[in-house]
This record gives sequence, structure tokens and C-alpha cells, in this order.
Amino acid sequence: MAACTRRLDKVMFSIRLLRNIQQKNERFLSTSMRRLDEGSDGGKPTKFTPPPKPVIIDKTQSEASLRKFLSPEFIPPRQRINPLKFAIERKDMIQRRKVLNIPEFYVGSVLAVTMADPHASGKTNRFMGICIQRGGHGLGATFVLRNIIDGQGVEICYEMYSPRLQQLEVLKLEKRLDNNLMYLRDALPEYSTVNLDMKPVPHSVTGDVPVNKTRVRMRPKPWSKRWERPKYNVQGIRFDLCLSPEKLEHAQKWAEPWREYDMLKEYDTTALEERFLKEVQTEMSKSTCP
Amino acid sequence: MAAWTCRFLLYRGARVLAGRTGAVAAADSCLFQSVRTVKTTTWWEEHLTEDNKSYMRKSLGEEYNRQIAAKLHPLKDEPWPRQEWTKESRRVGLVAVKLGMAPVWTKTGERHVVTMLQVQDCHVLNYLSKEEYDGHTAALMVGGKNASPFYKSDEEMEMFRLAGVPPKQKVTTFKVSDNAIIKPGTPLYAAHFRPGQYVDVTAKTIGKGFQGVMKRYGFKGQPAFVGKSIHLNKYDPAKVFKGKKMPGMMGNVFDTAHGLKVWRVNTRYNVIYVHGSVPGHKNCLLKVRDTNLPTYVEKNINPPFPTFFCEEDEQLPEDLYDEDLFIHTQPSLTL
Repeated sequence: MAACTRRLDKVMFSIRLLRNIQQKNERFLSTSMRRLDEGSDGGKPTKFTPPPKPVIIDKTQSEASLRKFLSPEFIPPRQRINPLKFAIERKDMIQRRKVLNIPEFYVGSVLAVTMADPHASGKTNRFMGICIQRGGHGLGATFVLRNIIDGQGVEICYEMYSPRLQQLEVLKLEKRLDNNLMYLRDALPEYSTVNLDMKPVPHSVTGDVPVNKTRVRMRPKPWSKRWERPKYNVQGIRFDLCLSPEKLEHAQKWAEPWREYDMLKEYDTTALEERFLKEVQTEMSKSTCP
Repeated sequence: MAAWTCRFLLYRGARVLAGRTGAVAAADSCLFQSVRTVKTTTWWEEHLTEDNKSYMRKSLGEEYNRQIAAKLHPLKDEPWPRQEWTKESRRVGLVAVKLGMAPVWTKTGERHVVTMLQVQDCHVLNYLSKEEYDGHTAALMVGGKNASPFYKSDEEMEMFRLAGVPPKQKVTTFKVSDNAIIKPGTPLYAAHFRPGQYVDVTAKTIGKGFQGVMKRYGFKGQPAFVGKSIHLNKYDPAKVFKGKKMPGMMGNVFDTAHGLKVWRVNTRYNVIYVHGSVPGHKNCLLKVRDTNLPTYVEKNINPPFPTFFCEEDEQLPEDLYDEDLFIHTQPSLTL
């Protein structure tokens, strides 16, 4: 058996050698052929033409895999307003978005905003913080950024379509367990501090947005709002560390379990979302008119 | 008379039937409750079949379109002679629909709120000369927003028929100087007002029902606890003065907002962006006219006179902006 394998090895080795020699010869032949051709042009050395640049087709990010995100202010509230009013407002919003890049962000993301300020040195001021709330519809859409600077909590409410905003960058794109983080006012300050020298964290354009499942520890009561009550539907607070089970049960007295069956509160926006997303994408892809 | 007898028969019929069987009693009570109290008219679809109803509705829409198309070129249909604007001339106004409100920014970064008013199917309906109207000024009747003719009486429809225009939901009168009269049937557009002008907007305020004196007149109420009797020291005139502020119906009356600046006019959708808020609920009909306030007289000079005609040579751009307004296609402000 060993003798057979040894012989096999020798045979393989010799085959490989022959193949190598053949390849080398081919290479030699090919280069020599080229040289012969060049010689036949007339003796002049041809000018070096660089090879054509390779066209990189990024097949990893097809349109279907890009995350579809429609900013919530495009979705009109459920009111008896003529849809023409929203259509006209949407046109203005898209025009503004062509000038200022308003990135995709959620409540819980860290943003840095540069705004024009006549009283600041350099005429601009820059503020960064966690987005705790996104409100408003249409052109009056707002978002609130919170940060703790020198031990003082600061919240600034920016209007997304204000002409004074010059730059919006998302330093960290993530979601939280809640849609509204107002309870950070009553939480320990470490949860609201954002380092002012923070570098942007790269995020992917495809797939789901990462959800930060931190549950926040609160300062002792009294709080600004009774966050344990079911109407706020807060998932992101460690109630077990600050309230006794009796108090939590007492808070459930204000639960309104019939509200999920309230048909008048049903508002299905999927069709509207699709339509507006298509409209926004087509308008944004058109180049800015001269 | 026939109607009275109809009611009688129903009563009689009910009693007779009740005598026969108890099972029919329920049906009788229904009959009894649905007795017709409006005795003179029928509604338009009462005696029509389904086919007839749909045909009436369709033909109505087609007739509207034909009428509006016929009125699209007022300058070709022998218009009344156009005269020049002078300082003393007063021109006609418009009827508009309140769409909603939106924010607006100036070039210095200040934020203001505007109300969007859309001019839907506004036509001049009638001309009343000085003698016909009040002896002092001529008047033009203007209507806005098409309505169904089935619920209008013949007297109301006569004016629309003479003007050749579909019937309107709101018909108002504007006092007009003699050089600003327009032929009935002319359409009026939002470009009648230009950015930088000032307007007055009149509409019926939102009705609040029977309200107390605190909401109605802003009275301060009484102290929450019984303290010293100083709050009971009042002046006692032994009579009630005329116009005494008391609880009563609040709202649902005409009110005017004066001196509102026009920030922007959209000629494609006929929308006027007017500063601040305006009386009335969303989608209500308003009366818009040039201001009477003396402070804004010099802002309203050289308007389109007597009105803006669509088919003139000057083609207006889709949006007309005030010079102070920030347009969203401009780059961000650097203050």
C-alpha cells in the first residue's frame, strides 16, 4: 500500500512538473508572439495605453435589499383635510430635501446638527444629542435632541425643514424599545450623555436597524410624568428596580384594554406609505432643475 | 290639503290594522313615526329609477365641464371695456376654500405661519348697478365652489342660468367702483392677488354653542374659595344696560381678519398663502378682498385690474413668491 502511494506521488509530481513546464512555455510563447507582432508594426515602440478601468457593478446592494424608509412626517394625520394641501406641502419638502440631506434616523439615534446662528462665532453652532422625540407633520416636522453638557441637561427642538439648518449627520443609527424617550429626563444622567467628541459609527444601508435594548434606571420619584402607567406604554425602564410590585399593579388600574378594539382609532397607512415612498424616491432621483 | 288627508289616512289605517292583528302593530308604529312633515316638495330622486338617477348625475357633470370650458376665454367673448387702475378704484374679491395652515420662513430666518386658501371655480355671477344696489356704489355678485343644482330653488338657479355658470355653494356681493366692473360669467383666479398685497378675509367662525361668560368674553371668574366679601362689592345700576355681556351662543357668525399679507400664490392649483390665521373651520368658504386698512394702501398699488385674465400673453410661473420669502430650492441660510 505504501509503495503504491509513493509511486502515485511520484506520478503526480511528474505530471505537475510537466504541466508547469507546459504553462511556462505557453507564457513564453505568448509573450514572444506579442513581441513578434510588435516587431511587425514597423519597428516603432507603440505608446503605452493604460488598460481600461474596470467597471465595478455593486451587486451586493440591489435595490430590493436597500432598507425602505419613509420619514414619518410625510404620512398625513387622520384629519378631514384636502389631500391637495399635503401634496403641495410634499413638493416643498422634497425641494428642501434636494438641497439639505436629511438622513434616515429614528428615536434613539445620536445626531449632530449644525445651525446658522448670527450671534455665534463662525456664525454656526453645532449640537449633538440623542433624538428623544419626532413630532409634527409636513413642513412643521420637528425632532428633539437631548444631551447633558457640564452636568446640565439640554434639550433642543429643531424644525427639520427650517432654512437655518445647514447639516444633519447621524453619528449612530439605532432604534430603542420606545417611540418616545421623554422618560430620559427622569432617568440617571449617564443614559442621556453623548460624548461631544464622538466619532460617527458606520451603519449599513441594508437590513434591519439595530435595536438598542437597554432598559434605563430611573432617579427616585417624583418623576415628571407617571411613566409606569399603561398609557405611556414604556418598555425601556427598569421598573423592578424603582417600584414595588404593588405599585405596578396599582398603575394597571389606569389600563384601558378596550382601546385596542376601538375601530375609530384604526388608521391603516400602508397604502399611503407605499405611494408616498415611490413619489419621494422618483422625485429625489430626478436631478435638481437649473 | 291632499297631504293632510294623507296623514289622516295613515292614522286611520294604523288604528284599523291594529284592530286586526297584533303582529302588524310593529309595522304600524314604523308607519306612524315616518309620517311626512315636509308637505310641499319632493326631493329630486324620489320618483326616479336607478338608471335615471345615474344619468342625471353624469349629465350634470358633463354640463358643468361644458359651461366652464365655454367661459375659459372671457377676453374673446366681448368682455366689458377694461379701464386703468386709479387710487380710488375698488376691485372685486374672490371666494376661496380654507385648506389648512403651514409654516413659512423669511430670508432672515424668521418663521411665520400661513393659511392656504384655494380658489375653486370662482365666477362672477351678476352685476348690480349703483341704482340697483344701494345708490352709492355698484356691486358684483361672485360665487365659489360648484354645488348640486338639485337642492337649489328655481329663484336661486335663475342667476346661475343667466350667467351660464354651474350653481355655486357660496354667493357674495363685493362693492366695486364703476371702472372695475366685470362681465358676469368671467372666471376669477388666485393670480388676482399678488404676493406683497394685503387682504381681508371674512368667514363664519366655528360655532361653539351656548357658552358662558368666561369663554365668550374672557371674564376672570370668581375666587376659588370664599374669602373676604370684597368680591361681592359691585356697582348696582338697578337696570341692565344694552349690550350687557351675558352667556349665550358663541361663534357661527361672520368675522373678518384684516390686513393679512399674501406671501405666495400658486397659479397651478390656484392657492393663496395668507399670513396668520383666518376665521372658519377647514374646508370652509371665505370671502377674500383687498384691505380697507389705510396703513396698507400703498402696498396694494397697481394690482391686476379689473382681474387677472388667464389667456393674456404674459404666462405666469407656477409659483409667485414674496421678495422676503425663503424658497426651498435656495441653499440653506447663512445668517
